[in-house]
Amino acid sequence: MKAVTGESSELKSSKLKPGVNRGLSIFDFILRLAAIVGALGSAIAMGTTTQTLPFATQFIQFRAEYNDLPMFTFFVVACAIVSGYLVLSLPLSIFHILRSRARATRVVLVFLDAGMMALLTSGASAAAAIVYLAHKGNGKTNWLAICQQFNSFCERTSGSLIGSFVAIVLLMIMIFLSGAALSRRR
Amino acid sequence: MKTGESTAIDIAPETNNSGPIGKKKSTTPLLAAPVPDRGTHRMKRGLAIFDFVLRIGVLASALAAAAAMGTSEQTLPFFTQFFQFEASYDDLPTFQFFVVAMAVVAGYVVLSIPFSIVCIIRPHAAGPRVLLLILDSVALTLNTAAAGAAAAVVSLAHSGNSSTNWLAICNQFGDFCQQASGAVVGSFAAVLLFLLLILFSALSLKNSH
Repeated sequence: MKAVTGESSELKSSKLKPGVNRGLSIFDFILRLAAIVGALGSAIAMGTTTQTLPFATQFIQFRAEYNDLPMFTFFVVACAIVSGYLVLSLPLSIFHILRSRARATRVVLVFLDAGMMALLTSGASAAAAIVYLAHKGNGKTNWLAICQQFNSFCERTSGSLIGSFVAIVLLMIMIFLSGAALSRRR
Repeated sequence: MKTGESTAIDIAPETNNSGPIGKKKSTTPLLAAPVPDRGTHRMKRGLAIFDFVLRIGVLASALAAAAAMGTSEQTLPFFTQFFQFEASYDDLPTFQFFVVAMAVVAGYVVLSIPFSIVCIIRPHAAGPRVLLLILDSVALTLNTAAAGAAAAVVSLAHSGNSSTNWLAICNQFGDFCQQASGAVVGSFAAVLLFLLLILFSALSLKNSH
């Protein structure tokens, strides 16, 4: 009788464990959707930022666009690539919800998530460095703070960084979730 | 006949104890943990050793990047009353952040080496592996942030920007720029090695249990 109850409890625990993995996979899917919104929103917000000042002279340019700074162009491209990757990885995430015991595809997902997180972080930090320079300038290198002239351009570029930082944090949590799901027995 | 009697006697107490799967229980231990075969044992140990070697590589490149940026200073041999002709890493806050972040990453790698050694000694332990996976991804984020920001400023220093009237300072401070660029390259190498470390941790976790 003792052995019978022991086996039934073992069966119960092996039924619960795919349940926890399934919960982790569902949470991963929801976070993926939120990260798509964040990355795509950042790309669009930075890509549509232009400001033209109402006066002009012969020599100095009074129009600011995201194209003018190659780091902002890289930021828009990186955000677009990462949001495209997240959309393409949604079917893989759904597959993990349906088959919670899949391990090899989770390894692929962890590696690709880490690579995309590195790409997005490098783009976001490059844009953040340029935004910081545009706000504060630098006395030693004689780089003037352009935000004092182009107010709304600066505000908009600073705001568009927020979506990408949120997407970075969500990608990191997704890596944690995949790692936890991989480490569980069976 | 005698053997038939002996098996009849033997079966009866087993069915009382363990139910319909009792016959299988006499041949293979169902409830015991499966013994891991030698193949996965060796592969996981190999992955763990490679992980340790990669960690030493990450430590080397992170320390080299921090040191290269931290010692990058250049003073031009002429001067006037109005202009400054000295460039150092602490003139730019981005480079200060780079040096601090790479030092933190190098310190983390030093502290994670004991965990890596534990993974070599016990290849089937999942706890240290998951911990290393999580902490490695945090360190990857910090490393990439420092590398990306410093790369942006170095690129700006090399080519300037006409729309914002930012002059390229590398035309004057050649050595300073070269050393800063080398430091950025070293930190991107550390980023690639971190990605490989995360891949190996995930592969080792996949093959356990």
